[in-house]
Amino acid sequence: MAKTKRAAGEINSSSMADIAFLLLIFFLVTTTMDVDSGMKRTLPPIADNEQQQDDVELKERNVLMVNVSKEGRIMVGTEEYMPADLNRRGDHSRMSREVLNFLADLDRSEKKSTEVEPTINCEISQGVVSLKADNETKYNIYLQVQDELTHAFNVYRDLISVQAYGKPFEELNEIQAGNIRKAVPVKVSEAEPNDRTK
Amino acid sequence: MAKKGKKEVPAMSTSSLPDIVFMLLFFFMAATTMRDTDPLVTVSMPEAHEITELDKKGLVNIWIGQPLQRGEGDALKIQLNDAICEVSDIQDLVHDASAKKGMALSQMLINLRVDKTATVGKLTDVKQELRRAEAYSISYAAKTRVH
Repeated sequence: MAKTKRAAGEINSSSMADIAFLLLIFFLVTTTMDVDSGMKRTLPPIADNEQQQDDVELKERNVLMVNVSKEGRIMVGTEEYMPADLNRRGDHSRMSREVLNFLADLDRSEKKSTEVEPTINCEISQGVVSLKADNETKYNIYLQVQDELTHAFNVYRDLISVQAYGKPFEELNEIQAGNIRKAVPVKVSEAEPNDRTK
Repeated sequence: MAKKGKKEVPAMSTSSLPDIVFMLLFFFMAATTMRDTDPLVTVSMPEAHEITELDKKGLVNIWIGQPLQRGEGDALKIQLNDAICEVSDIQDLVHDASAKKGMALSQMLINLRVDKTATVGKLTDVKQELRRAEAYSISYAAKTRVH
């Protein structure tokens, strides 16, 4: 006697692996894994004529001149540094220590009481670093100098953060970190090319 | 008739192979992002300590590096979007990129991927063009330095 019910045939799943492999290879080829990372900066707007020159004129004691020659010699204020001084021994390099002194030392850059949060005021340096580099300077050196400048500002942020909130910058919550970032901006001014010819 | 003398080894089960491959597939789908532009120049990135991760949204890359294609000479070239361009094209291309993404230039971040052997002069030319295009937010791309 014939069966009344037929068992449904199973779907052959042996090609499932092939399909999955095909998809896998497609994704391997079309995607990348690298994350973009970099050092953020804000360019100044182009000054129309000389009318804006007055606004940006700063007190001399508040400006730290950093000059990078094409051979890679670095002048910070009146002190000369070599590329090796950018290497870190311990936590800081020789150069970033000098920049940090400029920012944090009471006798050097002017300090102004700034509101970090409505109830918290801190004495914050008005110092600006003016970075100039020769046209022939290698980008590698230039970026390392930028790196050390950023480092000095980050350490300074840490100092202010301890003053304002009693803990280092890394332990702050997002709002507090935002306040500190606003109160202590990374003031590195990258000179315009026509300044460099002087 | 007597039994066969040799016992056959049962075939290895491959039924879990799709599962394994799917697992790999999902890993790659989650951990990677789509490649948006094909690089036409190679850039050997400088290294730095103080770098932050950049938000992919609103990011426009400008490469300055050795052209990959032979016969282009040894000079470093600028690449923006999918083509090699001249310094004077940057303004227009940056505006195009912002129109394409539907974002204002002020919200965009221009990521400068510059070869470490490039000169500051070349970089300054590009930065001047960006200032003229009123794209003020930039970043210097770098790899994390370990020592």
